[in-house]
Amino acid sequence: MKSAPDRRTPRWRAWLLLTPMIAWLVLFVVAPTAILLVYSFCERDEVGRVVFTFSLENYRRVFDPIYLRIFARSVGYAGLTTVICILAGYPVAYCIGRAREEWRHRLLLLLMVPCWTSFLIRTYAWITILKEEGLLNGLIRLVAPTATGFDLMYTPTAVVIGLVYAYLPFMILPIYGSVEKLDGALIEAAHDLGAGPLRVFSSVIIPLTLPGIAAGTLLVFVPAVGMFAITDLMGGARVPLIGNVIQNQFLVARDWPFGAALGAVFMGLFALTYWILLRLGAREEDPA
Amino acid sequence: MKLTRFLLPALLALFTVTNPARAGEELNLFGWSEYIPQGVLDGFTKETGIKVNFETYASNEELLSKLVAGGGSYDLIQPSDYTAEVMIRQKLLSPLDLAQLPNLKNLAPEFRHLDHDPDGRYTVPYMSGTVGIVVNTERVKTPIKGYRDVFTPAFKDRIVVLADPRELVTWAMFTEKLPINHVTPESLARVRPVVAEWVKLIKVFDSDSPKTALLNGDVDVGVVWSGEAAILWNENRKFQYILPAEGVPQFVDVLAIPATAQNKAAAHQLINYLLRPDVSRQISAAFPYTNPNAEARKLLTPEQLANPASYPPGHPKLTTFHDIGKAAADIDRLVTDLKSAR
Amino acid sequence: MPAAPTFPARRRWPSGIRIVDGAVSTWTAVVLAFLYAPIVVLVAYSFNQSRLNIVWQGFTFEWYRQVLQNSPLLRAAQNSLVIAVVSTLLSVLLGTVGAWLLHRYRFAGARTLQTLVAVPMVMPEILMGISLLILFATVGMGLGFTAVIIGHVTFSFPFVLVAVQARLRGLDPAMEEAALDLGATPLQAFWLVIVPCLRPAIVAGALMAFTLSWDELIVTFFTTSAASATLPIRVFGMAKVGLNPMLNALSAIFILATIAFVFFSDYLRKLSR
Repeated sequence: MKSAPDRRTPRWRAWLLLTPMIAWLVLFVVAPTAILLVYSFCERDEVGRVVFTFSLENYRRVFDPIYLRIFARSVGYAGLTTVICILAGYPVAYCIGRAREEWRHRLLLLLMVPCWTSFLIRTYAWITILKEEGLLNGLIRLVAPTATGFDLMYTPTAVVIGLVYAYLPFMILPIYGSVEKLDGALIEAAHDLGAGPLRVFSSVIIPLTLPGIAAGTLLVFVPAVGMFAITDLMGGARVPLIGNVIQNQFLVARDWPFGAALGAVFMGLFALTYWILLRLGAREEDPA
Repeated sequence: MKLTRFLLPALLALFTVTNPARAGEELNLFGWSEYIPQGVLDGFTKETGIKVNFETYASNEELLSKLVAGGGSYDLIQPSDYTAEVMIRQKLLSPLDLAQLPNLKNLAPEFRHLDHDPDGRYTVPYMSGTVGIVVNTERVKTPIKGYRDVFTPAFKDRIVVLADPRELVTWAMFTEKLPINHVTPESLARVRPVVAEWVKLIKVFDSDSPKTALLNGDVDVGVVWSGEAAILWNENRKFQYILPAEGVPQFVDVLAIPATAQNKAAAHQLINYLLRPDVSRQISAAFPYTNPNAEARKLLTPEQLANPASYPPGHPKLTTFHDIGKAAADIDRLVTDLKSAR
Repeated sequence: MPAAPTFPARRRWPSGIRIVDGAVSTWTAVVLAFLYAPIVVLVAYSFNQSRLNIVWQGFTFEWYRQVLQNSPLLRAAQNSLVIAVVSTLLSVLLGTVGAWLLHRYRFAGARTLQTLVAVPMVMPEILMGISLLILFATVGMGLGFTAVIIGHVTFSFPFVLVAVQARLRGLDPAMEEAALDLGATPLQAFWLVIVPCLRPAIVAGALMAFTLSWDELIVTFFTTSAASATLPIRVFGMAKVGLNPMLNALSAIFILATIAFVFFSDYLRKLSR
């Protein structure tokens, strides 16, 4: 591995450049989060408006086993989606990254264009394919007239298909960013030294593209945990995930403070995990 | 990226197109999407010269949360009765000037003094509907009369219902003969085992388009909005609409002026315009709900009036929802709990 | 596409790398087929006469005619495009510069800043939408294009930042130093040496930012005014009365326009050479 880049302490010019991002984060991330945090300690009136008091009741409710179970299930779905996205997406990113230069951008766009169709329209197209009398089962019956076909729509399988469909490009793109940087000569060299394709892959290619995989995992796993629309449409809203529960506090139950408390715990847990991972990563990189 | 060189002029062009010169009076309307035909609004603008800025929402709670969080400034909104009720109580609505609404006389008498607004001082009914049972009669041969006939093991995984916890719990309360607008911990405890059984049988929860699962043949029965049932009936007569014997929830969507409205005069003008029979008829043609406008009903085709989902035969006993305040959160928790226990 | 590896026994086996390459391109084709399956279906159904799109009733251009006459829908598409393009440009700027500075410099609070950047990714849309609305209402800022774009940049720039950071990791620090030794200012070094090297990650980040902004519903709902309503808001509203094949037609037009744009810009690039 290359040595860690020698980092410097920023001087005034760098601070100046950092200002817009810090200002943006403070204004549009910290301030709204602070508002929510205040709300999470309040009570509500009948329209769901916040009444400013101090109460820990909302937090007590968050740790009700119902919500903990839902949270665990959300993490499970997101984890499964991430694993499938890595396995299915890596070869694609590799293929695009190793393609001839004039093809790379075309392939990337080809990858993204399906996502530029409204989520709802795409989902309805999936329903046309997966429903009981849909195209998939039609195709199966065409090949094997005696087959019973699949009853996929409104099942957890359909939810996972929807999740993978929605998040796959977010795995492929960052991995592509790493693969594109790979030095072809390095692979050739490893191969010439007698390493088989598997060996080249596991000890040369994977370590070099690890940052891309890590970034992709972050970009897929994190949004997938809080996702709500796919469970509603593809899963028939039968099994609630944490995203649905938070959404419901605002758009069904009119309980903003509880919604804010759920959100605060959810984001807090995430931020803590991420911060610890960053720390561990830094220690590994620079044990001093 | 070289792209910017092409994008910037294109963007500037777009901005000039999207911001035409503003002149004349404007009205900010915040309404349900797909409930007011664009042609009707265009007609209003043509007649009065008032430009209508139409912003949409997809549920009462979306409307309420945006309004309560301090968003937008609207002159006319379109809440459902139980939402209007709480908005009146919270002084979020402005009283109407009835003198400016001569077309109120067109309304059917049964829609003049509704529970949420007994004096009709704040709201004007727009459209109304019910919640009932849709049966695919090609697949279901047993007679269905009420909720108890729907939620049986015979229909396990063949049922679609509205994804609205309040509705689900209300139906269970009907079957248990409990008062639906008086939700107590005791009544919730009574219906809990009922709802628990039902949740296990349901295949799809969908408030936005429950007809999709029925049309696709993924389910055979549903408890859905009458408007959905009317569309299904228009598509194929095999979809029959049945008002449940145990009790029928009714909703009335109304027009109201928020207390913060800037242009109340124009809002009154639009309400009065929407109450005109020839205008109201266009709304019925586009959206087959129950039209409360008696004069407009006279202009409807026999086929429109024959749709059992829009105009159910007989005189069924309908019950409207009242706002239940904080109990809504208990209902949500109950249903979430039962759903996630599957 | 290379054929499946069934080779005559007497021919020389292709090198391991070639087998891998073949398998990888075949798999890419499979994944693309998966991504395009619903797209093919929705384009096919845009020519279907049936309004509810359940069965095939016959071929028609009717929906295309209706789309081109539906001014609110076209207006919404236009709004979406303006918002997505502007917020993508801002996200790329904020994300790329941010990634570079976080990578290049070491300072107290860098890790906290990094964590803060990731927060919008995990923040449920409803929370972001409502809290931004409360914030805008408190400071007296009106809703509309600016508010929507602020919301969109907030949730999309972290994606650019993370993608660019992944590429920066393991970048040879000697490159920048060489540029500095040759007399470039740090800004020049960044612009002339680092940015070109980051381009694939920037493109990837921009594509993600555009995608997120283009199809976002909840944050948009809480920050939009009537004038800036986007396509997803219209589309979700239309689902109430059953998805209209008009929407399929609109998507088909958009896909076609994107592909045409790609080839047109390729052509322009060739001309300018």
